[in-house]
Amino acid sequence: MAKNMTVYLKIWRQPGPDQPGRMVDYTLQDVSPDMSFLEMLDVLNTQLIARGDEPVEFDSDCREGICGSCGMVINGIAHGPLKGVATCQLHMRSFDDGATIVIEPWRARSFPVIKDLVVDRSAFDRIIISGGYVTVKTGQAPDAHAIPVPRPDQEKAMDAAACIGCGACVAACPNASAALFTAAKISHLAYLPQGRVEARERALAMVRQMDAEGFGNCSNHGECEAVCPKEISISTIAKMRREYLKAVVLNPE
Amino acid sequence: MPVSCCDLWTTVGKKYLAAAAGLVFLVFVIVHLGGNLLLLLDNPNLYNSYSHHLVSLGPLLWFGEAVLLAFFLLHAVIGTLVYIRAREARPVGYHEIADAGKPSRKTLSSRTMIWSGIVILVFTILHLITFKFGEHYTVVVDGIEMRDFHTLVVEVFQKPGYVVWYLLAMVLLGLHLRHGFWSAFQSLGVNHPRYTPFIYGLGTGLAVLLAFGYIVIPIYVYFKY
Amino acid sequence: MKLDSKVPGGPIQEKWDRHRFEMKLVNPANKRKYKILVVGTGLAGASAAATLGGLGYDVHAFFIHDSPRRAHSIAAQGGINAAKNYPNDGDSIWRLFYDTIKGGDYRAREANVYRLAQVANNIIDQCVAQGVPFAREYGGYLDNRSFGGAQVSRTFYARGQTGQQLLLGAYSAMMQQVNAGNVKLYPRREMLDLVIKNGQARGIICRNLVSGEIESHAGHAVALCTGGYGNLYYLSTNAMNSNATAAWRCYKRGAAFANPCFTQIHPTCIPVSGDHQSKLTLMSESLRNDGRVWVPKRADDKRPPNQIPEEDRDYYLERRYPSFGNLVPRDVASRAAKAVCDEGRGVGEAGLSVYLDFRDAIARLGRKAIADKYGNLFDMYLRITDENPYEVPMRIYPAVHYTMGGLWVDYNLMSTIPGLYVLGEANFSDHGANRLGASALMQGLADGYFILPYTIGDYLAGSTFPTATVEDDEFKATRQEVLDQTERMIRNRGNKDPRTFHRELGAIMWDYVGMARNAQGLREAITKIRALREEYWQNLKVPGRPDSFNKYLEYAGRIGDYMELGELVAMDALQREESCGGHFREEYQTEEGEALRNDERFAFAAAWEYKGPNQKPELHREDLTFESVELKQRSYK
Repeated sequence: MAKNMTVYLKIWRQPGPDQPGRMVDYTLQDVSPDMSFLEMLDVLNTQLIARGDEPVEFDSDCREGICGSCGMVINGIAHGPLKGVATCQLHMRSFDDGATIVIEPWRARSFPVIKDLVVDRSAFDRIIISGGYVTVKTGQAPDAHAIPVPRPDQEKAMDAAACIGCGACVAACPNASAALFTAAKISHLAYLPQGRVEARERALAMVRQMDAEGFGNCSNHGECEAVCPKEISISTIAKMRREYLKAVVLNPE
Repeated sequence: MPVSCCDLWTTVGKKYLAAAAGLVFLVFVIVHLGGNLLLLLDNPNLYNSYSHHLVSLGPLLWFGEAVLLAFFLLHAVIGTLVYIRAREARPVGYHEIADAGKPSRKTLSSRTMIWSGIVILVFTILHLITFKFGEHYTVVVDGIEMRDFHTLVVEVFQKPGYVVWYLLAMVLLGLHLRHGFWSAFQSLGVNHPRYTPFIYGLGTGLAVLLAFGYIVIPIYVYFKY
Repeated sequence: MKLDSKVPGGPIQEKWDRHRFEMKLVNPANKRKYKILVVGTGLAGASAAATLGGLGYDVHAFFIHDSPRRAHSIAAQGGINAAKNYPNDGDSIWRLFYDTIKGGDYRAREANVYRLAQVANNIIDQCVAQGVPFAREYGGYLDNRSFGGAQVSRTFYARGQTGQQLLLGAYSAMMQQVNAGNVKLYPRREMLDLVIKNGQARGIICRNLVSGEIESHAGHAVALCTGGYGNLYYLSTNAMNSNATAAWRCYKRGAAFANPCFTQIHPTCIPVSGDHQSKLTLMSESLRNDGRVWVPKRADDKRPPNQIPEEDRDYYLERRYPSFGNLVPRDVASRAAKAVCDEGRGVGEAGLSVYLDFRDAIARLGRKAIADKYGNLFDMYLRITDENPYEVPMRIYPAVHYTMGGLWVDYNLMSTIPGLYVLGEANFSDHGANRLGASALMQGLADGYFILPYTIGDYLAGSTFPTATVEDDEFKATRQEVLDQTERMIRNRGNKDPRTFHRELGAIMWDYVGMARNAQGLREAITKIRALREEYWQNLKVPGRPDSFNKYLEYAGRIGDYMELGELVAMDALQREESCGGHFREEYQTEEGEALRNDERFAFAAAWEYKGPNQKPELHREDLTFESVELKQRSYK
């Protein structure tokens, strides 16, 4: 069994949305390499509480990389150094003994900080509300086999649908753009016959909403794909642009 | 849902316009290089005849120039707006930023588009002042009086300062194209697992070739004359 | 309290149809006037909110997360059952019904389970129409696989992320209704109490988790969709924020809590690695299709697994259950793992795990085929344990996964409080003493899409509603109680943080009220829980302030409720002097060590009624009658 380690943490502390924040240093000893990154923060918090300090607030829920709650920028990379995982799936064995670890919240105007590492991602929900669905009421559905779906299309739809809405794409983007998130939903539904019916309206509405939320303009850095825990490809962004082009230029209403 | 031209001014729409304008400019840059490579043939008359032919196009040339100017301005305005919007979208920056590595396309080139773009803009204005609106030498070739661009070019490229500035601008043009070329395709929605790696590679190749081509001319002229 | 299950008359196949005809309807123009508070936005909550919104009700949806999409339904991996019989392998509604009743060890209400099997097909249709990318074959039609204890292929799946895709489907349907103005979202709100006026559930008190404000919300009915209480055990596969608080507070307001001792332990989880462990990760049950479970034959065999020859291995599931082998239901597989570990034959550093070996499958099908099927699970295992399952056998151990018990509901999904409906894992209804794989998603969506939307109309149309506003005394008094409790937790100047208490409670629950229980241990557990609860209120330390974002304050409230719920679980386990499904009493087993039911005495649902602080709750029995199936001992031999 690997020996326990000491890490030097620099964590963004901010008491509330309108209060100023700063980086605070903590030293944490006796960290097991088998701990997950968030368990390491749990241990830090237990120590902070014991000495009467306020614990570091962060969002976390399923701790298996699917709910999309957790997310922090670790040493300058959203979700940390490991590819294809969310912060909760990162283990301390990815760090060296004696390492300095800088931990910051997602940074974007559209993701305001609530406290410490917790940010408000409701902008994503509003993008979905604007059109990220198939308009079908309960009971309206035909038999599941009524419309066959070519398997490659289903696979592509599933690739895009795997998005967990964590916001790492925005956090990592040099422009703080939400293009990957928006594109993943537009692509998921555009690849399926069930979603094609509304593809035009969806692309228009979601892009408009994405812009209204104040996210930056995608300029194809591709950093989002590299940090995405589900490794969603920026080919979905191209797909979104094709759908949007159809809606606005090729086939406007 | 009705569509208006505002929908072309969204973050997605702007990228179509910027990409289209960029690609038009790329064509110009290639053609312009082709013409200017005539300088390497040591035949001033040939070069002057070529430029005279262009000028003789008259209204057709003016139209072409107007189109180029419009696209150039559009491209520059959008590039600036993208930059400003990015700054606004992240008012508080990170203490530490690292590159996430593959498959990211983030490069020095992609991070400096606004700066390489501004340099190219300044260069282009100065370039027009120096040449198009510069000293008006004349020469007679085959009985036709025409503007002697060759003499002007040789004169300008004898100044070491100008040559260095020119080289720098062309390196930045290459840098701009390195990200700009593949990005234009991605912005227009062209992305395919089979072709995109090729487009990406082609962009790099084109950037190197064009920058190289443009750099060769002043160096050749400087040492030749 | 009188339990009336309100099961309609007639043959089981016709009950639901008949009931749908007999129920009163709300005039379309009037639906807008009814305000329904939906608490929780997992599969049950999101599907209910979407459907009720679509019908035109005024729906208000409350959830503890920042987005409805984060609910723990999202983590379900395996799939969802339906008796479509697309593979033509002999499935039918009747067989799905029968399997579910039998799988639940005959402790579920027959009529509910039949209805579940009936509406399951509609769920698949609905999800496909929403754009759920279920796995398909090359012809474009849906693929099915067999799953956990079923001999037909009736499970629909979307890679290893079925729960995610179904939840995103329900979430998107709800979001469409938000767009349409029929559903209003209340993110980061935790329901902390139920408001009852004139005997009807008329509102909720919740804490705004961002500002700390205690808010009151009034409506005509409340639908509780807040999931199960697996986190009572500290380590479970539930999410960090999964909790029983809303359900427990409803119990304390008069909703009966049924079968709390029916907890499911899932056999294939990644074992604990140390004290720091905050939760356990489930490995999909589908792994048992190709993996073989074994331990060394001798307790002192400490050789690395690959050096243990065939003759020294005990493939104990294949040995004990030749016909089902590694595919026995969850409770059976879990207990068998515990048994071999109790014999000292467990593997890993603490001896608390068994091998799940893919060596033979890799040899037979090739590494690529195994990677295609389980690649992402193998990767996940490698990431967590740093051991490569292609090279060495996985190590697995059972962990708390699901709770079949929950608030008691009648056929209409209404609790014993009029106007309080309970859906999904939060209720007790359909899984009896043990849930089959791929049935939780089915039940959550059945409740939300196809059952509540009908039954709630009957209640709304058939009841009178005196005006209720948040200014009423009932609201003010309940809100004050919530404020007082929050104040009490914050003011307490103890020196133990909530997590430490949680861990201690979990250890008691796991040791005495876990996979195998006995009367003496359960009595001991009750004593220990009471002592711990006492200490909790003396020695609790909650950091921070009540009027700001404060995760440890939320956490403290939930642990406080677990301190009471834990005791009820133990009491229920003590009263049920039989073994059935997830509830195994060591005193009641066959000679081969299998669960021994006692249908004479215990063919009932145990519904507990709250009688006040530190009072013994009262047990009510809902007798289960089986008209359509014959009670048999479950056998997977």
